Amino acid sequence: MPPTTLLRLPSLRPASASSVIRNGLPVCLRAFTTTGIGLAKQLPPRRVILDSEIEESFLKGSGPGGQKINKTSSAVQLKHLPTGIVIKCQESRSRSYNRKAARRILGERIEEIELGEQSRTAIKAREKSKKKASAEKKKRRKYKELAEAKAREDVEEDVEGEVEEGAIEHEVQAERLPAEEGSKGG
Amino acid sequence: MPRISNALIRHARSIDKLLPPLLRPCRELRAAQNELRWLREHAAKVASTRNAKVRDTLLRNLVLERAKGKPLQYLLGSEYFGDLQITCRPGVLIPRQETAASVAYLARLVRQAEELPPELRVLDLCTGTGCIPLLFHDELAATRKDVRSRYLGIDISRDAVHLAHYNLQKVWRQKAYADKSVTAFVQADVLIDPFDDQNAGMPCFKAALNHYRQPPFWDILISNPPYISPSGYWSTTTRSVRLFEPELALLPPPNPDASDTERGDVFYPRLLSIAQHVEAKVVLLEVADLDQAHRVARLAQDADFFDGIEVWRDWPDQPNDAEPVELDGFPVIGQGNGRYVLCWRAQGAPWLGKDVVAKAETEPLSHYSLQPTFIYRPPSKIPL
Repeated sequence: MPPTTLLRLPSLRPASASSVIRNGLPVCLRAFTTTGIGLAKQLPPRRVILDSEIEESFLKGSGPGGQKINKTSSAVQLKHLPTGIVIKCQESRSRSYNRKAARRILGERIEEIELGEQSRTAIKAREKSKKKASAEKKKRRKYKELAEAKAREDVEEDVEGEVEEGAIEHEVQAERLPAEEGSKGG
Repeated sequence: MPRISNALIRHARSIDKLLPPLLRPCRELRAAQNELRWLREHAAKVASTRNAKVRDTLLRNLVLERAKGKPLQYLLGSEYFGDLQITCRPGVLIPRQETAASVAYLARLVRQAEELPPELRVLDLCTGTGCIPLLFHDELAATRKDVRSRYLGIDISRDAVHLAHYNLQKVWRQKAYADKSVTAFVQADVLIDPFDDQNAGMPCFKAALNHYRQPPFWDILISNPPYISPSGYWSTTTRSVRLFEPELALLPPPNPDASDTERGDVFYPRLLSIAQHVEAKVVLLEVADLDQAHRVARLAQDADFFDGIEVWRDWPDQPNDAEPVELDGFPVIGQGNGRYVLCWRAQGAPWLGKDVVAKAETEPLSHYSLQPTFIYRPPSKIPL
């Protein structure tokens, strides 16, 4: 049994199951850490949209096309026939990108309707808000402790300052510090 | 063109100070907002990110140039063609989305074919940025690793051939293709008849093939030649196209004897005769509208070389929802304006998933073969 510290290091030789041949060289696909992998809960599978379910149209201007006009619009509009949802995407100049993006958005929208709270977007949003809330909590706790420590120090210094000569300087500093903390915390 | 209302200009100005000048080329607020977003992204990418002042100046200049009508693709330096990002420079025609739709559709038809030649050869005449061969290869290589392909793009313009080479290198570096396909771009004049006196400076198509040691026979011929007639040039093209895109790529060369429509169609007889020379199995020619498609289809029919002819609209992969479904016996496919004429013959039919036409019994081909045979035939029976 190797010491526990060694267990946290990635294996130096690629395991045969997780190695692939790329450009003739074996490449290790194992991540550089042993924590955090597989701990996240599996998301529900993406909603597959069949081509027969949707009606795709490119928003094209009237008039002649081809060489005669130089169009910059590559908007894609998708209509989901069973639900009647219409998605319009003109994010990029590339039509193929817009087509993919529109399908992705449509899939998410349908899933939200079908699964509600169990849909991918809802789960992701929940996780994100949870993470944000815990980060906020941590931050608040940290600055609270810092402020308390500072206050304690100041009190002690104040006590000492009555004896020392530079008491006024210390007081000025103590007044400024909490203000700085406040601006950082916000 | 209707005047842009003051209310719209004021509304645009309340959203962004730079929007009103963009309304002039775009005409619509949504389009102007999109273009401003792309220009802003471009300015942020090009200017050093730290220096906000330089970036804003650059953006303002870009917007002013766009307001004068300069195509967005020349300002941003690229255009998306199918999945590819093709570099554009002034002096070379910007690739059009309709072209991409039809070329991708053809490539998808061909890649479904069960039997393809071991080396599929695709010839693109009047190639411009080189976008057509690059997209065809991209689509073919996506599913058919077994087929080696060879591409040749020909253009009369030196700038176009340079840009096509640049795009070739860029796309191959980006996509990291693993197949053994070969692509070349060559400068030649398609319109010069190889059997005429060769006194022009530019080599004819045949001479260029020989000089660059390219094979004499090609399977697929695609072309997006200049096809706009002089009257159509002044009445139907947009100002941005007329002022900023090369006339060489839009208008066929002047000919005092030809009428207006004839001048628009100058390239097609030459392209069809080249198709016969290189023994093309599939020919795809871009046209301006259904009328020109009709004329070109008739021309191809009169050549008596093809087994089938079809007209494609702008988006051939969409179901045809407009009249006519048939044009003088030629099926019309897709949505939008008439855009392409597709002709096929012999092995080309199964590549496109078409029914093979049973040809009337003719003399055995071996009589015409150029291969040496060891069978003695009396001289009278050998034609030629």
